[in-house]
Amino acid sequence: MALIATPAARPAGPGSPAADSRLRYWLHGYRWMFAWDLADLRLTLPVLASILTLQGAGFVLGIGLLYRHIPQAAAAFVVTGIPVLNLITAGLIFEPQIVAGQRTAGSYEFLQSMPVPRSMAAIAWYTVALITALPAVVLTLVSGVLRYHLHLDITPAIVPAILAVSFTGVLMGYAIAHAITTPMIAQLVSTALIFVLFGFSPVMFPARQLPLWLAQVNQWLPFGSMATIMHSALGISEASGTGRAYLVAAAWAIGSGLVAAWAVGRRR
Amino acid sequence: MDTAADETGSAAGVPLPGIRRGSGHWLSSYAAMLRFDIASQRTWLPMFAMMQILFGTGTAIIYGFYIGPGMSRSIALFIVSGAPALATITAALIGVTTMVTERKLAGSWDFIWSLPAPRSAVVASTLTVYTVMTVPGVVACLALATWRYGLHLSLSPMVAPAFVLAALITTSLAFGMALAIPNPLVTNVIVNALIFLILLFSPVVYPITQLPGWLADVHRVLPIYHLAQILRASVTSGLVHDVAASYAVLAGWTVVAWAATAWTIGRRK
Repeated sequence: MALIATPAARPAGPGSPAADSRLRYWLHGYRWMFAWDLADLRLTLPVLASILTLQGAGFVLGIGLLYRHIPQAAAAFVVTGIPVLNLITAGLIFEPQIVAGQRTAGSYEFLQSMPVPRSMAAIAWYTVALITALPAVVLTLVSGVLRYHLHLDITPAIVPAILAVSFTGVLMGYAIAHAITTPMIAQLVSTALIFVLFGFSPVMFPARQLPLWLAQVNQWLPFGSMATIMHSALGISEASGTGRAYLVAAAWAIGSGLVAAWAVGRRR
Repeated sequence: MDTAADETGSAAGVPLPGIRRGSGHWLSSYAAMLRFDIASQRTWLPMFAMMQILFGTGTAIIYGFYIGPGMSRSIALFIVSGAPALATITAALIGVTTMVTERKLAGSWDFIWSLPAPRSAVVASTLTVYTVMTVPGVVACLALATWRYGLHLSLSPMVAPAFVLAALITTSLAFGMALAIPNPLVTNVIVNALIFLILLFSPVVYPITQLPGWLADVHRVLPIYHLAQILRASVTSGLVHDVAASYAVLAGWTVVAWAATAWTIGRRK
């Protein structure tokens, strides 16, 4: 324990040896937790990546059956909204399930006692969730474009869009997983959130198709903002207020990050 | 066995209990198991009903959001008349399988099978409780969806038997599946996949003609489409033809479900 506490206890000015040591300690912790997550979930991650792809492509193909003739605009909105689902499912649904399993199995306390900064554990998980979701994003978009003969105008903003949407989803899932100590309730909350995302958020259909009050509520909720960010990056002209959407998503990410920090940092 | 027991009992001078068989014993066991099921599930059953109403009604409302402002009355009628099927299937797939797998994980089935009651009475009791619990949720879903879309339905005299039969059929199928699959994790995966397929790839809230030909043919064999048909026929007029064929297909699937259940509970471990 003394070895671990030493770098953080030193005064660390910028560029000082102590600061370098702290940076190395953090990077070291990130590398270890990244490797830990990959090893721990080596069997699960390929399955999760496949599920995300099937879920995304299945939704893209299935939603067209609802309509006798799906309008191009509706098809484009669905296809460019699905990446939000691809990107946040791992963080929002899977992470609470992993942590619930760890709590039930009794390994949660062991993992929390590891000599690595807990913030680095969160960032390592973010990296893993992002890598797992990326193939699903690409394959879902490809299947949607082929099925509905769309032409997407993909802009460079897709890079920050993917990073921001995934980051917000991971932090929200992290907060739920660590702050709600009853595994069943944590799973219930994350499942309910996905239901809200699918049906009551303007992610795969425009906000004007919701009742006015629900559309207004959604302006302050994260999913609609994530969708605006993604629609805008994929060239959907209906997407407006991208700057505001980034701010709302950032606010949810910060809020979730604070809750998660409180949950993993408190003494029990 | 009886002879051996007689000999042993007589030899030990222990008075033997009366022979437990016959319809009287079955009915008293069934009544006792009904009390057991209701008492042991008293906290779960209200949640089951709530979940069914929220999911069934929520899904019916969500379809409307996807279709958007261009929704015609006939599309709305399809969605509303599909809501009871969604509620019934959800209740069975999520509610009944959760109950069965929880009992598996807790080891409760071993205890239940050891009770001095015919296993058929045990199963009949569970199916009765969940069938009865499903019907109010289905009615509530239908009422809420009708109110949401501002429609007037034309209920036929077949509405009561259709709702009860649909609930019994879906409960039997979910119960048989959950009991026959040994690993609860596999059951969970199958349930999630089925819900996904039912919500998107099944002609419950849209006509079967909107499916590709091969998928429509598959659905003419599977129970989901026919379940939606008998429920739709009972609350609308002119939308469904040849409902007798749907009843026949569903009867076949119910026999399959009961056979799977009988095979599972009858075998020795």
